[in-house]
Amino acid sequence: MSRLEIYSPEGLRVDGRRWNELRRLECSINTHANASDGSSYLEQGNNKIITLVNGPQEPKLRSQTNVTKAVLSIAVNITRFSKTERSKSSHRNERRVLEMQTALARTFEKNILLHLYPRTQIDIQIHVLQQDGGLMGSLINGITLALIDAGIAIYDYISGVSIGLYDTTPLLDLNTVEESAMSSVTLGVMGRSEKLSLLLVEDKLPLDTMESVLAIGIAGSHRIRELMDKELRKHGEKRLANISSNQ
Amino acid sequence: MAKDIEISTSESKFLIEALRQGLRPDLRKFEEIRDVGITFGKDYGDVTVTMGKTKVHCRISCSIAQPYEDRPFEGLFYISTETSPMAGAQFENGNNTGEDEVLCSRIIEKAVRRSGALDVEGLCIVAGSKCWAVRADVHFLDCDGGFIDVSCIAVMCGLLHFRKPDVTVSGEQVTIHPVEEREPVPLGVLHIPICVTFSFFNPEDAEENIKGESNNEICLIDATLKEELLRDGTLTVTLNKNREVVQVSKAGGLPMDALTLMDCCHKAFKITEKLTDKITEVLKKDIESRNQHSAMLSSENARVS
Amino acid sequence: MDSLIIPGDNFHVEGRENVILGPGAYCDPKSQQFQPVNAGFEVVKESKKNVSVHVEYNSKRYVPAVGDLVVGLITGSYSDSYRVSLESFSTPVTLSYMAFPNASKKNRPTLKVGDLVYARVSKADKELEAEIECVDSTTGKDAGFGLLEGGTVVDVSLAYCRELAFNPDYALLPLLAKTAQFEVAIGINGKIWIKCDDVRHALACKKSIVDCQHYTPSEHKSIITKNFKKLLNSTD
Repeated sequence: MSRLEIYSPEGLRVDGRRWNELRRLECSINTHANASDGSSYLEQGNNKIITLVNGPQEPKLRSQTNVTKAVLSIAVNITRFSKTERSKSSHRNERRVLEMQTALARTFEKNILLHLYPRTQIDIQIHVLQQDGGLMGSLINGITLALIDAGIAIYDYISGVSIGLYDTTPLLDLNTVEESAMSSVTLGVMGRSEKLSLLLVEDKLPLDTMESVLAIGIAGSHRIRELMDKELRKHGEKRLANISSNQ
Repeated sequence: MAKDIEISTSESKFLIEALRQGLRPDLRKFEEIRDVGITFGKDYGDVTVTMGKTKVHCRISCSIAQPYEDRPFEGLFYISTETSPMAGAQFENGNNTGEDEVLCSRIIEKAVRRSGALDVEGLCIVAGSKCWAVRADVHFLDCDGGFIDVSCIAVMCGLLHFRKPDVTVSGEQVTIHPVEEREPVPLGVLHIPICVTFSFFNPEDAEENIKGESNNEICLIDATLKEELLRDGTLTVTLNKNREVVQVSKAGGLPMDALTLMDCCHKAFKITEKLTDKITEVLKKDIESRNQHSAMLSSENARVS
Repeated sequence: MDSLIIPGDNFHVEGRENVILGPGAYCDPKSQQFQPVNAGFEVVKESKKNVSVHVEYNSKRYVPAVGDLVVGLITGSYSDSYRVSLESFSTPVTLSYMAFPNASKKNRPTLKVGDLVYARVSKADKELEAEIECVDSTTGKDAGFGLLEGGTVVDVSLAYCRELAFNPDYALLPLLAKTAQFEVAIGINGKIWIKCDDVRHALACKKSIVDCQHYTPSEHKSIITKNFKKLLNSTD
């Protein structure tokens, strides 16, 4: 195998992007109108993710009810065919997936106004059809869109993105090749603010470079938020137009 | 989790009110960690670490195994962090899929194993067929918060303290020399990661935290069990003495300003330095106490120059 | 005549008749022999007619007994009663809506989940869930029971709680009262509720109560002054 050049001297990455370029982000909401109360389909580069939200509904188990707020449960299903090589095991009970679910649930618990829906349960199912790095960030984006589609009260968007550090150059929105070659940081940013709901750093990173990495990540997340916002508004206008033409 | 510890609203309000006035229930400062006590057992790789009332025991052991096919030059290294009701009634026996248990074991895994704190290539005996499998068993003996921090220290102390039997290889013949026969050799530890956990509390309401301009959130280091139960968010930073961030995990919880989080990292570094020095000092003392008769037993004569 | 006694020993009341057995003593129904079943101090009290004996022992887990004054935490509410926890991981007890002063079918108490109550154990049968009440059932008055507003809770051992509540010579609370003003409710279930106007005082009281557990009464004064000094100095 020829040695891949992660970041060429001309400033190009493996897939031809510049250091501060995001991958193509396409999303749509209300994709599974019959199957769920809110849904979204998100493509971030080669990540393809379906998110379904059901709820607020009656809890399946009595014991899970909370009299003061809704119970949020998140299930992440990483399909066996999501990578180039079909995986031998289902990823269902892997610790990595359990950790993801916990992290996502704790992120959105603070963003959803759970106290408005006491004695109910909000179920979020995520199906990862294809993955290509920066999965956690894409999952966050997918959930945000699906929650808005489901009409569940949230404070603000949470947008997620991953950033890597190659030597001293931060690279925005990593794909799998880049992710395996360098250490990465995943952020979940609250709306237009600089508040981080989620922050995961894996592998070593010099302490003094972290600030610049975070700054770029926040800027990237804000850009993702704009892209999602644009799509949502487009969708909203379409629906509005439908209503007004019916009259 | 089997059942939760129940806490009244009065108590949680009281804690927030105390924190707002800059006071912690155990009269510590916000950025003060509890005293860390490290005691080594009689054997190599047997260590008990305490921090306040929290107590964790770690035992390192090793055996010969076959390396993975795709990594013939690397030894094996496992960390097992299993909670049991021994640490407190809130833990269930044999069930390690609770949220906190999973996060704890994943963070230790990332901090120690994936960061390459142990030189696994040094565990190789014969490439592709024989290597050392090193195992760290962490036992939680008593729980008063800060499991992640304490178990990370325990695993690292264990690894630094452990000695594996010496081996000689001649061709295909591998000889393991018992500890009594030949001085055992230490493991190759490349760096010492130290975890520092921060707990965040929100004195205002949720809206102020997310929408407001102010950053009034309270941030504590090394929370006790009660503080842990009432906190709104947590952040675990793992650093080493070389100013490297090994791992950071803020899995949701209260949204915090990026600059505050950076500030936390810098605070964590100071603690990391302090703890690393403490670990090396304790280890040095232990080795000295083990070798106190070495000078007497040595057959070496004073050289005449 | 307090002396240490351990299961397997014999009580020092041989040859006496009309012996009344208290907690920690067991009488074999067949042989009518009695012996201690808990380790602690043997307390023998003599009166004209008879002699009573019990073992004063320490434990951490509370078992409800009728007449005990307890501090409970409301963990759930049902159609006609509250579920109250006297200790984490213990069986919950019930607090009926009718066990309040002036209770009627229409006049319901207004406690919420998470509130603390001071109550009396009214029923503690082996076969049934224990019940507590927030009213003095003989007079129908509130008798100091009911919601404990604000404040905080200190968890201590059961023997220490009994000492604080029943031993008039135990000087800890009077000592504390000299330095700070506070409201206190001692639950025999190992929970002491304490409330001060000032958070600092409350914290100092709380820590003093916890610390003094492990020291003799003669040392209490210095512990209290130390804790208060430390807290009040931290203001500056």
